[in-house]
Amino acid sequence: MDPDALAKAFVEHYYTTFDTNRAALANLYQEASMLTFEGQKIQGAQNIVAKLTSLPFQQCLHKITTVDCQPSGVNAAMLVFVSGNLQLAGEQHALKFSQMFHLIPTPQGSYYVNNDVFRLNYA
Amino acid sequence: MDADSVAKAFVEHYYSTFDNNRHALFSLYQDNSMLTFEGDKIQGAQAITTKLTSLPFQHCHHAISTVDSQPSGVNSGMLVFVSGTLQLAGEQNALKFSQMFHLIPTQQGSYYVLNDIFRLNYA
Repeated sequence: MDPDALAKAFVEHYYTTFDTNRAALANLYQEASMLTFEGQKIQGAQNIVAKLTSLPFQQCLHKITTVDCQPSGVNAAMLVFVSGNLQLAGEQHALKFSQMFHLIPTPQGSYYVNNDVFRLNYA
Repeated sequence: MDADSVAKAFVEHYYSTFDNNRHALFSLYQDNSMLTFEGDKIQGAQAITTKLTSLPFQHCHHAISTVDSQPSGVNSGMLVFVSGTLQLAGEQNALKFSQMFHLIPTQQGSYYVLNDIFRLNYA
């Protein structure tokens, strides 16, 4: 699979998991993983998933607008830059967001998220 | 200097150079640098500088809204995620953008941009 297709597949899997089974995001992070969520810094899969599952909404839907990726310089590690919309249940207007992932290959042939930065794009 | 300050200083230097002396951006990239600019993929300092200096505007001003940074885990690198506005001379409304840099230390104690991804954030 070419890198662009891999990046796209990972991103689709990530947001599907977020939108339908948020606790399962734990599989996509490790102890060294870092998330910066709207400026708040969180480290480690457990803390990251605690943060994401405690966000003040039950249901949401991410819609991806753009996915860009580049190799980050070592092995098959990849930087992925996403923009899209986040629709919260009950809200009239979707929020716009940008997000960056740094994906590191696992021995099992998959990827985990080593770095994750999320920002809303205000109008 | 702590990492966040280093990131902020680099970003300010980058956009100042972009806005005042665009050709000098050449010194911030190397042969293995990659830029994805609104989906266009460009490699190497020379081709990247050519792309940036040939954008269809003479004067511009970047104003930074947010800067987030994390260590990338690769080659002592730093990931920097920026959002801001880009004012083009003669245009009434500023454009909103997000940009991601992967900075790698140089022997001279500075950084160069290995990875660069730029996206406008449309309303």
